[in-house]
Amino acid sequence: MAAVLGISAHYHDAAAALVVDGRIVAAMQEERFSRIKNDPSLPRRAARACLALGNIAAADLDAVVFYENPYAKLERVVVSLAREYPRSFRQFSPALGGQLGSKLWVLDQIADMLGVERRIVRFVEHHESHAACAFLCSPYADAAVLTVDGVGEAATTALWRGEGSSLRCLGAIDFPHSLGLLYAAFTAYLGFEVNEGEYKVMGLAAHGRPRYRDELSRVLRLEADGSFTLEPRFFAHATDTDVGFSPALEALLGPRRPPGRPFDLDSNEDDRRCADVAASLQVATEEALLGLARAARERTGATALCLAGGVALNALANARLAREAGFERVFVPPAAGDAGGALGAALLGSRDLGDPRPAPLATAALGEPFDTGAAVDLARALGLAALPVADASAAAAARIAAGKVVALCRGRFEFGPRALGQRSLLADATRAESRDRLNRVIKQREPFRPFAPSVTAAAAAALFVGAPNDMTPFMTTVCRIDPGRAATLPAVVHVDGTARVQTVTEPSAPDLAPILAALERETGVPVVLNTSLNGAGEPIVAGPVEALAFFLQHPVDALVVGDALIERSPA
Amino acid sequence: MSARRGFLRRLASRAVTLGGLLGHFAHRRRFFLVPLVLVLLAAAVLLAATGGLAYVAPFLYTLF
Repeated sequence: MAAVLGISAHYHDAAAALVVDGRIVAAMQEERFSRIKNDPSLPRRAARACLALGNIAAADLDAVVFYENPYAKLERVVVSLAREYPRSFRQFSPALGGQLGSKLWVLDQIADMLGVERRIVRFVEHHESHAACAFLCSPYADAAVLTVDGVGEAATTALWRGEGSSLRCLGAIDFPHSLGLLYAAFTAYLGFEVNEGEYKVMGLAAHGRPRYRDELSRVLRLEADGSFTLEPRFFAHATDTDVGFSPALEALLGPRRPPGRPFDLDSNEDDRRCADVAASLQVATEEALLGLARAARERTGATALCLAGGVALNALANARLAREAGFERVFVPPAAGDAGGALGAALLGSRDLGDPRPAPLATAALGEPFDTGAAVDLARALGLAALPVADASAAAAARIAAGKVVALCRGRFEFGPRALGQRSLLADATRAESRDRLNRVIKQREPFRPFAPSVTAAAAAALFVGAPNDMTPFMTTVCRIDPGRAATLPAVVHVDGTARVQTVTEPSAPDLAPILAALERETGVPVVLNTSLNGAGEPIVAGPVEALAFFLQHPVDALVVGDALIERSPA
Repeated sequence: MSARRGFLRRLASRAVTLGGLLGHFAHRRRFFLVPLVLVLLAAAVLLAATGGLAYVAPFLYTLF
């Protein structure tokens, strides 16, 4: 029986996760506390919050496990820079400075941060952390596991066989051949921020036609054995790290899109070309993943597939894998990216100390609980009327049904990039104007970006093809809406007829389920538009201070904090 | 006294990491890279001293 803390840090999306006696106690990203989106710094506050929730002192930890091997990482950096020398000369100082000055010493930094003995701090491999997060949280006893991201130590893609509590690596593809880096380079080419704008590329893809497939096949070559290679001349990973792609890519596809220019997909020819490039990239990525998954199916014989790594956040691709890769079931955890590596590392540490595998992950609500009392006190201090209501869920549902936008803060915040009903903005899915108001006025996003629906698991099958499944509780896949129902949910169906649906049950989203039940009683439609409670460029809200700040800064109609309701203009 | 103990503890911790690094290169038969790492470390220090570390690109962040 052991208490194990997992840590991911230093690249993007730092996180901490606590596993005690094989049970997942807490998992949180540092960004929720520091208020710096995708904060890579050591997760001091997240670690402290995890320990506090587990009622465990750092001195009582049996192990602290970092999510990657800092020595192998240094080796890959040195070797890849040396291979590209002298073209990589400009990258030597920042790359080696960062490695030798800080990242190499991460295990010491963690020991210092927690005040624990250095001997209990160890590491596991990056892709093994991802694989553990996916497989050990899944409902499967036996599965093929694919981990696909930008790059870990050297591997960018790996195939695993998961059986019981064990994970065996069957093969890997190494840097620079990387689907994550391919997607990131195109994210930069299309004028979006790397590590942040990949969702925008996915949303943009639905507005384009994949007419650059032939060009993409010269950039990303799919091999007969299911693997892939990138053509190096289109990339500049070690030489032009501003964008990661070379002038050859612009010669192939046209000029890059300037960052920050507003999108006009109706009348701007160049924006339509960019949408076509995004669509071609999405198709190429899906086909590469399909090749990997089909090879995994053939090699392992498993009927279930688990997927993790940053590329596993591509919900469109996950849906295609579920349909076409030949597996009966597919699972992608809610924090499939580097944050999830902290949870995977903790689970590996726990397993290695003899603890049992955890129960299948039922909910992503693994963060710090919302302090309703503090929120009510703060609201009153700010002159806002925070009124206790007998049934906050019914009150929220009534306002949503009336076309209002409601911010919801209840329970423990979510682990991963999706708001799943603990820190959410909710609106009526049956009104198209909900989408436009949220996109333009409240979230200030590009108009082409879709919003997701949350629906009761019981009603999901009648509305969305293939729902519910193992991914839908965590919004890690998309489903096509029943063609007969598309017109009834205009705010949450994307231009391609899909929606990144969340299926809701009481265990998976305990604070959203009663709102959907009340909404069904009120309107007969147990569906709500659900988007994350954050302003543009901000992390999702964590506690009372950010919740009240969001309410004051954005034109939402009501804020539900625990069992209290704060309204901008009382009904 | 306790500051000294803290310093010694940190020193011991760094020694563990250095041992791990050497072990990694030995285990992976990559010892030939150690001189390169040392030279690059010296170059990094020099460039840092001359302001060369001011610029860190976003992609670099992902890779290195």
